[in-house]
Amino acid sequence: MIKVYKELNDVLLVTLEIKEASLENGDAFKVEVIKLFDKYHKSIAIDMSVVEYIDSSFLGSIVSVFKHLISFQNEVVLVGLSKDITNLFALTRLDKVFKIYSTFDEVSK
Amino acid sequence: MAIQKPKEILLVDDDQLFLKLIEQVFKKSGFKCTVAPSAEAAIILLQEGAKPDIILSDYLMLKMNGFEFRRYLMNDPAFQDIPFVFLTFFSDKDLVEKGLDLQAIDYVIKDTPINVIVSKVNNILFAVDKQRELSENEVKKAAKSLNIKSIPVKAPDIKEFSIDFWHQAYHDIPGGDFIDFIRVNDRYTFIVLGDIMGKKWMAWFFTFGFLSYVRSAVRFAAFNQEYSTARILQQVNDVICFDEVLKDILSSLSLLLIDSETNKISYAGAGDLPLLQYSSETGELMSVSSSGLLLGLFEHGNYTEREIDLKPGDRLFVFTDGMIDFVDKTGKKSDYNQFSKTLKPFLEKENNFTYIAESLFAGSLNEQVDDRSIISIYKN
Repeated sequence: MIKVYKELNDVLLVTLEIKEASLENGDAFKVEVIKLFDKYHKSIAIDMSVVEYIDSSFLGSIVSVFKHLISFQNEVVLVGLSKDITNLFALTRLDKVFKIYSTFDEVSK
Repeated sequence: MAIQKPKEILLVDDDQLFLKLIEQVFKKSGFKCTVAPSAEAAIILLQEGAKPDIILSDYLMLKMNGFEFRRYLMNDPAFQDIPFVFLTFFSDKDLVEKGLDLQAIDYVIKDTPINVIVSKVNNILFAVDKQRELSENEVKKAAKSLNIKSIPVKAPDIKEFSIDFWHQAYHDIPGGDFIDFIRVNDRYTFIVLGDIMGKKWMAWFFTFGFLSYVRSAVRFAAFNQEYSTARILQQVNDVICFDEVLKDILSSLSLLLIDSETNKISYAGAGDLPLLQYSSETGELMSVSSSGLLLGLFEHGNYTEREIDLKPGDRLFVFTDGMIDFVDKTGKKSDYNQFSKTLKPFLEKENNFTYIAESLFAGSLNEQVDDRSIISIYKN
């Protein structure tokens, strides 16, 4: 579900390879991100440009891994959100919680 | 009546000819087929989001064989519960036992006529559905006997206002949406609409924890004569952030207070969707947003309240994200503006709320993705 794209000094760049992010894959997503964090011990930037739909359960999973990483002074940042998903984040004020970038290049700047 | 969705099967075999043949027969029998020429390819399809109702996999394949494939799926919580059937030329007793240890539902010998294989798969799916239905009925019965509800039976009568609500559970199973109307006295009534992030029973279970905290915070506020929706949300959030059971559970919440003496409405929200306010004078439908974050996210949720003024004939809608989720040709979507656009024409010509709510999903938006809840506050 998650592929490591590149490891930078202070952030790990990964891509989320699912079109529909929902209840069915939310728990597996959490397990994979936490496993990656346990291995690399750094913030994780998740490219979600192939994701077309997120339900509230999966949103909960993203927030939950965000909270986990924050407790270790790291964070989850999101990359390449579709227009619909960007709107959803803005409507629910999650855009104030997450750093959101268009591309990996912006993250590494 | 809901239209039955075609069952989806994932067929895995490295014999391309056999794969094509079996795919055609399953398609003719009404199945939606996904095919993979190897276990590795099947795993990629599953990871990319394929959600078959059943997997039919060959045993003897190059690289990863059927057993290894099954073992891989068993170790992944996202895939371990998908019914799995082995397709093999072997009828060796040891192989069968080894496979059944891996909780494969059944074996089908490849020489079996394909229409018999289809019948067998249909029977397995029927049995799985039946079992699921029985388990759900058991839990529903238990919930009913405990008399616990996350959705009230009726809306309150409030002077000068007409309150209505409409709720549709996802797949007819109680879920994470919860509604409450708390009448403190003749003057003040609180309206609560929340949505636990999650679906079905698991989310439903947590609704009671959240509802208890909201009810307590409202009662304490009333005892102290402090009618501030923002402060109530902050108090609920404080407790949830320290609750060992609820601290990893997140919920949105819209909290409204109707003062029937001044006819004012106070609103504070926690990660909820902006409300929609319809003006009968201008015919406009405007969004009313709040600043607060989801309950349980941070200790300081930035909750603020605002006053909403409804004129006679105006209507205010409070709703959960299931209302803005829909399915079109390209897949599932969440579109707040689309919901608002669909709702508006109904408001211009119709005053019956239940009719409006049900009509919204009668057309192309009928496939349900999540719980749907909407509350309407109409100023008489």
